[in-house]
Amino acid sequence: MGICLLLCAAVAQAQDSGVAARATEILKDPSADSAVVGQLQEAAAVKILARQGGWMRIESAGGNGWVRLLAIRTTGVAPSTQSRGGFLSFLSRPSTGGGQTVTTGVRGLDKEQIQNAKPNTAELQKMAGFAANKPEAERFGASAGLTRQQVGYLKPPAAPGGQ
Amino acid sequence: MTDAIISAMRIRAIAAAATLAIAALPAQAQFRLDLNRAIDTAKSIGKATTQMTEAQEIDLGKQWAATLLGAAPLMAHPELQSYVNALGRWISLHSERPDLPWQFGVLESDNINAFATPGGYILVTKGLLARLKSEAELAGVLGHEITHVIQKHHLKAIQKAAGLQAGANILSEVTAKGRNPAVTDRLVGGIKELMLRGLDKDDEFESDRMGVVLAARAGYDPYGLPAVLQMLNAMSASDSELALMFSTHPAPSARLDTLERAMGSQLDRFAGKPGSGRFEKLVLGR
Repeated sequence: MGICLLLCAAVAQAQDSGVAARATEILKDPSADSAVVGQLQEAAAVKILARQGGWMRIESAGGNGWVRLLAIRTTGVAPSTQSRGGFLSFLSRPSTGGGQTVTTGVRGLDKEQIQNAKPNTAELQKMAGFAANKPEAERFGASAGLTRQQVGYLKPPAAPGGQ
Repeated sequence: MTDAIISAMRIRAIAAAATLAIAALPAQAQFRLDLNRAIDTAKSIGKATTQMTEAQEIDLGKQWAATLLGAAPLMAHPELQSYVNALGRWISLHSERPDLPWQFGVLESDNINAFATPGGYILVTKGLLARLKSEAELAGVLGHEITHVIQKHHLKAIQKAAGLQAGANILSEVTAKGRNPAVTDRLVGGIKELMLRGLDKDDEFESDRMGVVLAARAGYDPYGLPAVLQMLNAMSASDSELALMFSTHPAPSARLDTLERAMGSQLDRFAGKPGSGRFEKLVLGR
């Protein structure tokens, strides 16, 4: 469980829901070589219990276990009940797929507001004041234990159905 | 209309009209003459885009960002602004353009969106930030926006729109020699039009594909961006907070489909990394 406390940082707060984008195997663990414990049919409904890296832990009529995150399309996100003491704490955490959405302050940035916008050079100067230089960025990465990885860009996929 | 009063600017307007009206007015000799001239102008505009210097690109980005900031100001939270800048600058160091004057900001707006401008000015809305669950998700969003800059997607969009007034306005202002540094209405009008039109759909897919890699290079779980797209997919397309993003981007489901086919399991060895806890502390208040 100690490992999960570290690794499950991105666990969904409550039961989100989704559907299978394609038929896929349900696995015992979040690993491609894990045992198959069920089958998920295309468009089958799932409850999403957790996310870990590229995997989601789900419950479904076809079984309970882990499937690839990208095999699921999330359709509902449960409202969060977590406390919010950070900079966004004055916001009610927005909810989707259900509960009420509380909006505060400037709405901004819809089509009309962009059309009516007058360039704000004072804000642009303010933005420059927050810029980080390279050494600061390096320190930011190092302080969180982030390490540079060698990763090549991905090839564009073949057209749908062309595989 | 005589040639004498047809300014270069007017020809560009005719280019736009010609594109739209070509089927309606095929037989008019005068029109054909103007069309030929318009095509020549459009070609020189295309050349101007590809020859835009980095300084001009940055100058354009500044006007672009100032226009966005005119629609919504920065959130009044210096520590949060500094945090997003450090994170964004860290990711930019893993890109092919690490020496641009990258700047990042959080806009005081409940709309859910993120914007890149030429030259490396990147803005995310408070509304988007409030829906993210981890630093890896923010890294994925910033990786997507950084890709728009390094791949010069806006300059491509300008070039594509060069026959239209928006592209012509931007290019004539940015590339004009001795341009008055004061922002002109024509330039800002062109920027707004392109902002509302959005970028090419394939450029959005490319930004997703390269954004996940930039996040992975910077040490993050590459599944942060897919998780954000999943969150967007669960939201209603009729939600007014999403109207602009949904009208300028492919649907989240299409982006997830395309990303799934590009990623496969190739980046799985970088997945599932724990966060440092600072996003949780600073943004989520845990």
